[in-house]
Amino acid sequence: MAKIIVVTSGKGGVGKTTTSASFASGLALRGFKTAVIDFDVGLRNLDLIMGCERRVVYDFVNVIHGEASLKQALIKDKHCDNLFILPASQTRDKDALSREGVEKVIKDLIHDGFDYIVCDSPAGIETGALMAAYFADEAIVVTNPEVSSVRDSDRIIGILDAKSRKAEEGGTVKTHLLITRYSPKRVDTGEMLSLDDVQHLLRIPLIGVVPESETVLQASNSGTPAIHLANSDVSEAYKDVVARFLGEEKPLRFIEAPKQPLWKRLFGG
Amino acid sequence: MSLQIPADTPVAFEFKSLSLKLLSFVPATLDAARLEAALRDKLGDGEHMLSGEQLAIDFDSLPTLPSAMEIAALMQLLRQFGLKPVAARGGNDDQQAAAREAGLVVLSDEATAVVPPAKQVEKPVPAMIVSRPVRTGQQVYARGGDLVVLALVSAGAEVIADGNIHVYAPLRGRALAGARGDVSARIFTTCLEAELVSIGGVYRTLDDALPTSLKSKPAQVLLDQEKLVIEALAG
Repeated sequence: MAKIIVVTSGKGGVGKTTTSASFASGLALRGFKTAVIDFDVGLRNLDLIMGCERRVVYDFVNVIHGEASLKQALIKDKHCDNLFILPASQTRDKDALSREGVEKVIKDLIHDGFDYIVCDSPAGIETGALMAAYFADEAIVVTNPEVSSVRDSDRIIGILDAKSRKAEEGGTVKTHLLITRYSPKRVDTGEMLSLDDVQHLLRIPLIGVVPESETVLQASNSGTPAIHLANSDVSEAYKDVVARFLGEEKPLRFIEAPKQPLWKRLFGG
Repeated sequence: MSLQIPADTPVAFEFKSLSLKLLSFVPATLDAARLEAALRDKLGDGEHMLSGEQLAIDFDSLPTLPSAMEIAALMQLLRQFGLKPVAARGGNDDQQAAAREAGLVVLSDEATAVVPPAKQVEKPVPAMIVSRPVRTGQQVYARGGDLVVLALVSAGAEVIADGNIHVYAPLRGRALAGARGDVSARIFTTCLEAELVSIGGVYRTLDDALPTSLKSKPAQVLLDQEKLVIEALAG
């Protein structure tokens, strides 16, 4: 049975789309047929991060309105054969998303044999974010180690607990905490909340820590999901996230400030 | 001679104990017009919650004891409102004779015990128990009773109760106990990190850092003469 995962955060700019792109790519690299849907209608970004912006003809809203078939709108990823992107519309707004329409698209994807459907949520707690979250089985809550991001994540976890389909049916959405843009050095100097602080505040299981890195910017600019940038700490961190998501045990990495130059050289801290 | 009941013959009858619950109608006047107006006011003209209810007429609250005619008029009035007078109590022999004459059963004082009006005693509202975290932006209100939260109350969340609030986890949001003015309500938590606490409308923001003896410690909040007191819980 297909699993629907929402990548969400409440706050903007914390790394949802970067995470959606890398996480979906990671699942595809593991051999799973994966779709990633951009719910950020009006401010589409996922196609840029995935480097397929020039191949967008039809989008999510076209499919919902029946102006294009799902097959026409799905874009095959250039790195992974079994990864498909459903881009958001640039010219519409989030009210173009209807629950019935979204449900139909998700049902069709399940019917087409997708193993994982990753929903890239827009920031905020309005229609787009609610639509992305509604059908989720699991959620990756992307949080930066700073108080406002933690506060917004808490809010979105509350919404998942109360307003998702799972919640309405009496179940719970399984939530995972992903801390991104983590800088152990700044934690040591007290400029940034520590891993423990964030976990203590949110109290949901941690699925990974992605370090703050220049690599992410390079990856975005080149339209390549960061997970494909071999030997980078970000890529390794996302691979660990995928592994943990699939039930493997992986020790946390990149959570301590480099102590010696050799270590630093090896891992590019 | 002993009574022989053949085994295959069912018992012809049995006496069984039965206690009857009757509503009593206790008029304070015999003025038919006043009574009628009052009944109409209380029950209205059509069907009402007491339609068909069997009643005992209680003469004890009347300033003067009624005559046979007045008793008959009273019964007539009650029937008009869909009530069924079946019994009477109180009064002297004259009233009792008149009541019997009118077809009412006369209840002896020993047989009747006036039940204290149970409906007016407010039943305690069971505590509302929340076992999932109360997250930022969420609000939980325990109307009329206590609130027990077994999980985190995040900063930016609000827990409200008309009674006491118990939080058996970090309390980081706002907690408002005695929301309808109960000044004896209290807030208890195993880890006090609240943004705001309020008892019966008297509130305090905990903006300035709490002393280390209280911060993140088990504590209770109570109101002592319009002053909020926050104290550590021993143990």
